[in-house]
Amino acid sequence: MTTRIWVTGLGLVTPLGAGVEATWAPLVRGERAIRPVRLFSTAGQRVALAAEVDGVIVPGASWSRTSVMAATAAEEALRSAGLDVRSRRVGLVVGGTTGGMFETEEHLARLHAEPDCRDALAEMLSHPLTATGDRLGERLGPFARIRTVASACSSGANAIVVAASWLLTGEVDAVLAGASDGLCRLTLSGFNALAAIDPEPCRPFDIRRRGTSLGEGAGFLVLERDDAARARGATPVAELAGWAMGSEAHHITNPAPDGAVVASLVERAISRAGLTPRDVDYVNAHGTGTPLNDPMEAAALARALGPEIERIPVSSSKGQIGHTLGAAGAIEAAITALVVQRRTIVPTAGLGQPDPAAPLVHVLDRGREVSRVRAAISCAYGFGGMDTVLVFASPGAGSGHEVEARPVVVTGVAVAGACGLAGATRCAAIPELPLDPAGGLDPDEHLDPGRARRLDSSARLGVVVVEHALTDAAAPRSDTGVLLGSAFGNVDGSAAFMHRIFEKGPRSASPAEFPNLVPSSPVGHASIYLGLQGPAFATADLGTSGESAIVQAVQLVAAGEAERIVAGVVEPRSDIVERVLAALFSHTKSLIDAERRGVAAAVVLETQDEARRRGARVLARVRRTLEWRDDASLALASLPAPLGDRPEVVLARPNAGSDALLEGTVWAACPRVTCSQALGESYGLGAVAIAVAASRIGAGMISDALVVGLAQARGYLVVLSRA
Amino acid sequence: MPMDPTGLRSELKRLIVAELNLKGRDPESIADDAPLFGTGLGLDSLDALQLAMVIEEKFAVRIPEGDEARAIFASVRAIADHIARARGE
Repeated sequence: MTTRIWVTGLGLVTPLGAGVEATWAPLVRGERAIRPVRLFSTAGQRVALAAEVDGVIVPGASWSRTSVMAATAAEEALRSAGLDVRSRRVGLVVGGTTGGMFETEEHLARLHAEPDCRDALAEMLSHPLTATGDRLGERLGPFARIRTVASACSSGANAIVVAASWLLTGEVDAVLAGASDGLCRLTLSGFNALAAIDPEPCRPFDIRRRGTSLGEGAGFLVLERDDAARARGATPVAELAGWAMGSEAHHITNPAPDGAVVASLVERAISRAGLTPRDVDYVNAHGTGTPLNDPMEAAALARALGPEIERIPVSSSKGQIGHTLGAAGAIEAAITALVVQRRTIVPTAGLGQPDPAAPLVHVLDRGREVSRVRAAISCAYGFGGMDTVLVFASPGAGSGHEVEARPVVVTGVAVAGACGLAGATRCAAIPELPLDPAGGLDPDEHLDPGRARRLDSSARLGVVVVEHALTDAAAPRSDTGVLLGSAFGNVDGSAAFMHRIFEKGPRSASPAEFPNLVPSSPVGHASIYLGLQGPAFATADLGTSGESAIVQAVQLVAAGEAERIVAGVVEPRSDIVERVLAALFSHTKSLIDAERRGVAAAVVLETQDEARRRGARVLARVRRTLEWRDDASLALASLPAPLGDRPEVVLARPNAGSDALLEGTVWAACPRVTCSQALGESYGLGAVAIAVAASRIGAGMISDALVVGLAQARGYLVVLSRA
Repeated sequence: MPMDPTGLRSELKRLIVAELNLKGRDPESIADDAPLFGTGLGLDSLDALQLAMVIEEKFAVRIPEGDEARAIFASVRAIADHIARARGE
């Protein structure tokens, strides 16, 4: 069956205005919102200009500016789509990077002055990246599922690709997908440390350009399969006709100068849409205004679009709204969809003297109506070289897409922790292993010190476990993707980075440490170190972050986004997380006793066809993945019974919640095994359980496995069976 | 913090190895005139930014940005000369 993906609703909060129309009119007029920062003190900053969103009112301690902007944009998107989330299965994907860092900085400042301040400690983790999705769920839900994705400046574009994969595998009827990112001291200091901010409002593609300008905002899109949208009488803004995601595997901050990966993604996205460069009438470039990005991007577009590049207008919105970082991919996708709908191209404000090194058809000063926009491209590139290209087209212009879920198998696993570094053979025995209190893993024993010199503890652990899983699967690397989850990201690194700034001022911010603070840093490092050029991003979902990464990887492979993805979790031991939990739970002794240990785990997921083609050992087949927020009943109703005679339930830890959950299902009577008794407590145990389950099936110890992953108001079920 | 030119260069070499995490590299094996970037030690623009930040902090001198910085970071000797000049030694 062929389907089209329609954009049926849009919502925007940008520095030009709150709302699609409030943004669009000044955007077309070429107005610029880049001004001196007022949100926080900028004393000591090299450059103190940015594009701020005015009038963000934060209603309570569980909200951040990022979440407020997201809620405003998401609400507008749902309203303009006329979509009632209760009437059908609607998924939510939220991209972001900074999350509630602006609010967290206040707690860090208090902890800097008073290191044992209990109140500040107790608040420290109140804005994990997942919080925005949680707040949107409470305010606008219920949603059938919620995913949080991060790939730095391509997060928003990747949220849209995730939505497309869900729609193509038929798991949801509609998806609210977008991203939000608020300005904060950490990012301003970090980009200043990288000398990446223009002292003037940024000037993309201008020969005088000296960097980008930061911005903030949110953009959300409602995406639906055309049949479902038609059935409810909805009309399309535009069609999401094509897309492609991949990794440069080049450098943690700098783009690969040849732009080869970007060019191939543009080609793939156009061809996936069933279009050719002749159909493309506009490109909304990433166009950051940094010396390195703009000529690279111009070269990549020229390579991908061939002689048509001399006809196609290209512009960057960053001279007006700044670089909205994690939100940029979603905001600019919404702008690109509007360009298609309104046959009006938008300008590159600030561009006065085009750089001959970026020879493009520029849109100077202000936008203009054109005779037609059949298809338009939006580009987003993130730290670590995670690039995504989207193609929007007028409804009916693209070829549509096959609705099909390809069978996915597990071909390799790795677990790192108190058990050392284990592949499938040793993973199968984890439920029978006791905890070795002195056990652990020194990643440095497995890394080349020269190539690993920029990796922090998360990235070291991540690279080692991803490499070991690929070795366990005897899998080739180059086209492989990588998805890693983490509950709280690099809180220790962010705290240390901010402490230096509080102590010595923003000019002491470390440019080398800054890129390690984004949630996708372990993924970026793994891609670069191991040469993985497939889809790459991070996920976050509290204590089920590993489950979210693995389930998302299954969905992407099933939907045809990659033949193979390594997915898992990286949870190094965190001093701050331990101190926060001690402050929060000082009255319940048991939680303090169970101090978390460093754990990482990864599984190699590939299509059954790819595993067959390369003659891979198959450990297990992924029969079903299910997930929910708040209410598990729908997921449980879809839970299949085991096929074989030796089923087993594999759990992260002994858990009364999962016992209660499975009561009344055929799985209730199955034997249960756990992983915590071998590895100690960790937020990463859910991914370990999936690796263990696949290994035990592969070893012939069991016939089927059900992995239950539970955290606050959310859960995942992963059903594995013999190949 | 007055320092003779040789001592300053040794100090810079130690700083480069420690700050850029060049594990296993003997600081004294870095020649005074060896190129630090590209083909030399294999450092890149991110390393240059990190070194500039650390040198500004440690030696209380300003490192200019852009093309001027490129010349200053040509070698350990060039950095040491810049520091000495900037401190009026």
